[in-house]
Amino acid sequence: MALTENRPFPLGRMLLYAACAPILLLLVLPTLIIVPMALTKGQLIQFPPIWISIHSFTDYLADETWVSSTIVSFKISILAVVIGATAGSFAAIGLHKRDFPGRNIVAGLILAPIIIPGIVLALGDFLLLAPMHLIGSWTTIAILHALLVTPYVFISVQTSLTVGLSPTLIRSARSLGAGRLAVLRFVHWPAIRPGLLAGAVLGFAVSFDEVVLALFMQGSTTVTLPVRMFQAIEYDLTPKIMAAASLFIALALLGLTVQALTAKRARPA
Amino acid sequence: MTASSSGALPQPRRFLRLLNFRDSLWLLAPIATLYGIFALIPFALIVRFAFADGGTHFATVLESRILVRVATNTVVISLMTTVVALVLGYILAAGLWRAGPKMQRVMLAFVMLPFWTAVLIKNFAWAALLQDNGLANTILQGLGLTNGPVTLLHNRLAVIIGMVHYVLPYAVFPIYSAMQAIDRKVERAARSLGAGTPSVIWFVILPLTLPGVYSAALLVFVVSVGFFITPVILGSPADMMIANLVNYYVRELVDFNAGAALALMILGAVVPLIVLQQSMGRGGRHGAH
Amino acid sequence: MSAPRRLEVNEVWKSYGGDLYAVRDVSFVLEPGEFLTLLGPSGSGKTTTLMMIAGFETVSRGSIRIDGRDIADQSPEHRNFGIVFQGYALFPHMNVAENVAFPLRMKGMGKRERLIKAAEMLEKVGLEGFAQRRPHELSGGQQQRVALSRALVFDPDALLLDEPLGALDRKLREQLQIEIKELQKRIGISVLLVTHDQEEAMMMSDRIAVMADGGIVQMGTPADVYLHPATPFVAGFLGETNFLPGLCQGASEGYVSVKFRNGEIGRARPPRFGGVPATGDKALVSIRPERVRILKPGETMDSVIEGRVVSGTFLGRHARYIVEAEGQQVVVSTTEWSEATAVPPGTAVRLGWSSDDAQSLADVKV
Repeated sequence: MALTENRPFPLGRMLLYAACAPILLLLVLPTLIIVPMALTKGQLIQFPPIWISIHSFTDYLADETWVSSTIVSFKISILAVVIGATAGSFAAIGLHKRDFPGRNIVAGLILAPIIIPGIVLALGDFLLLAPMHLIGSWTTIAILHALLVTPYVFISVQTSLTVGLSPTLIRSARSLGAGRLAVLRFVHWPAIRPGLLAGAVLGFAVSFDEVVLALFMQGSTTVTLPVRMFQAIEYDLTPKIMAAASLFIALALLGLTVQALTAKRARPA
Repeated sequence: MTASSSGALPQPRRFLRLLNFRDSLWLLAPIATLYGIFALIPFALIVRFAFADGGTHFATVLESRILVRVATNTVVISLMTTVVALVLGYILAAGLWRAGPKMQRVMLAFVMLPFWTAVLIKNFAWAALLQDNGLANTILQGLGLTNGPVTLLHNRLAVIIGMVHYVLPYAVFPIYSAMQAIDRKVERAARSLGAGTPSVIWFVILPLTLPGVYSAALLVFVVSVGFFITPVILGSPADMMIANLVNYYVRELVDFNAGAALALMILGAVVPLIVLQQSMGRGGRHGAH
Repeated sequence: MSAPRRLEVNEVWKSYGGDLYAVRDVSFVLEPGEFLTLLGPSGSGKTTTLMMIAGFETVSRGSIRIDGRDIADQSPEHRNFGIVFQGYALFPHMNVAENVAFPLRMKGMGKRERLIKAAEMLEKVGLEGFAQRRPHELSGGQQQRVALSRALVFDPDALLLDEPLGALDRKLREQLQIEIKELQKRIGISVLLVTHDQEEAMMMSDRIAVMADGGIVQMGTPADVYLHPATPFVAGFLGETNFLPGLCQGASEGYVSVKFRNGEIGRARPPRFGGVPATGDKALVSIRPERVRILKPGETMDSVIEGRVVSGTFLGRHARYIVEAEGQQVVVSTTEWSEATAVPPGTAVRLGWSSDDAQSLADVKV
């Protein structure tokens, strides 16, 4: 009967959706073509694929260098997440509800590693570590990746704390006889868990995908999977790239799912 | 101020707060160690390498003919990426804002999927799509728009496409959160005062979301400036960007001093923008109440 | 200033699907120049009704007319109502003058002209000199005046106020109630106010429509709905009252006689609707505390019941007694109080009222 529903502008909304649709399609299209491309028969990478085959996957699994790169990548990202999650969540707790001059600067500095160009960080750490012969060790790369994990964990734990922790809770726990560690265990820990999980998952993805630091720090036995792919893309375009890419897509989908699940729980009422 | 507004006993309270702060300072020890050793010292080393032998290394970089070209590339490509990302990001943010809860979840997944996908994979997929026998050319020829394959890959357009794809979520979220902060009653008020949809958008929504747009612009630009992989995979050598030049100095020429000087120059350009962006994020909202 | 128009809301229903109705069968007329209030608790459908008039909600059934013309199909920007929203909804990015001039700008008026008109309007509400301020630099009361100016500056057909004073403290609220009322009289505009505050409604309105569960329960002048409520809900919502249950003993001379629990008989006005109850029917009488008196020895009134004082409290403007009578507590409020005349607890007293001040209620849920 009337033109206006409870929500304003239905016509405008249709136009808006019509404008959004192609953008959204372009956003996901590249991701969506990877898996079919991996199933292409033949030595050339091609989309649309001509014949279906799983040879890129079998090639990938048969190539020791690619398999070891995959393992190294996992090792690095796991360690990076452990370090980054510790540093990031401790920092978030330590700075929660604190007001002091320069707080914003400190918070800004914590985020710096993910905002400043990665190449600057890579160069600086190369200058530090090369004379100490620490280049080429997977732990080195993991520690540097922790620099990138920390800000993400910090942000999401901070959000969890703002949403889920009232300062009166800490005070009442203290008045009930909880010591410092007991407060951390029984008050902070339950409050930060969703944020910690979300931040850690994102941090894992960031570390697993990272190229520049890993490129600068690579050694003969520590070539991460993205670095190997990057070099393969530059030089020989083997279909193994596609198999590895499929692994990345699977991880991305996994990360997206975990994020969607934790976001639902962490959302403020 | 805080003490008086929360009531009694300002003095002991403030004192307790200070004590509390001391109490939990140890929580900052891990991050301080990590950042101190692997970010602060490296930064100091960059400064030292750059300024070794006076200013000669800056001179080396500044006098190289390639710098002007690469710097121009970087600024032009980053600006174009920023503009395109803002336009597309604004539309997506508006869509998200207006969508019902279900639709919103779907759209969010679409926006977040590329965010979770490795930059390498995204670039590589674009390379496959844009190559001579790729999907883009197949469609163009299928539609009869072109006769033979058009070169879409290894040029500036491809770089910008790849970069926009990467930075789009960075554009969407600041704008989206600016939109969410708008009181819907303000919009209704405008309508009741005679504003149709175009007027509501132009006079109310656009001005109220501008702080978010500025914030998104700075963030996207800063992120764009640091791109390293995309110009290599999607661009031609002529599309080399500043991060590639650092890499070139360090890994090809093994001139650490020049690399460090260049890195410092990048920081000098980027850090003020980051500071501006960070301070906008906090003060950028209009006080509606 | 153009002449105000007649707003007619005719058998309007609102449903969000299913059998749940947010608004059911609401009809009223806002006469030109009238101040009408929709009064009710949250969820009573008053704001939904206002939003249907404004065009932000569709009408499921029924019609809304301006001077007889149905406006149901018009979008909000084409209706001509000035609305003051809860929280004011001022444009935070515009200064006061730009806010007030906005509707004129939408009408295509030139910049100079609309700023002059806006300045004139601001002068009317005592905000000259604030034109360049941003809304967040103003106090709540000032923001309210800006919102009012913005809603009035374009000669709307009627002014719709949605809980406009909710965010303000009591003193300021009362002051603004008077100001709005005066402004309305001066300009001669019709006003439809939505509020849950019965004092606000009584203070400002020519008529009040009391709403509950999506419908209008009773409509009338403030005195009428206050003194002669139709239902227990209306009686209770418009201030404190005593409910005395009993059985009808018959009607005479335009009053009904009710026999209370202890067997005493009191007289009251008959129910507002549903007809005069038959003898032996259940009855419920509502008497406002300030209309019940503690009788002096020898004094008598239309209706008298006996009781015993439980407590007496002096509250400044008035004093309040709790009296045990008819097997329940009866509240008596009086302005005649001194320490010498105070009735101590435990005293046996007689309570009396005039038959016109007691209202028997219709036997309905709300």
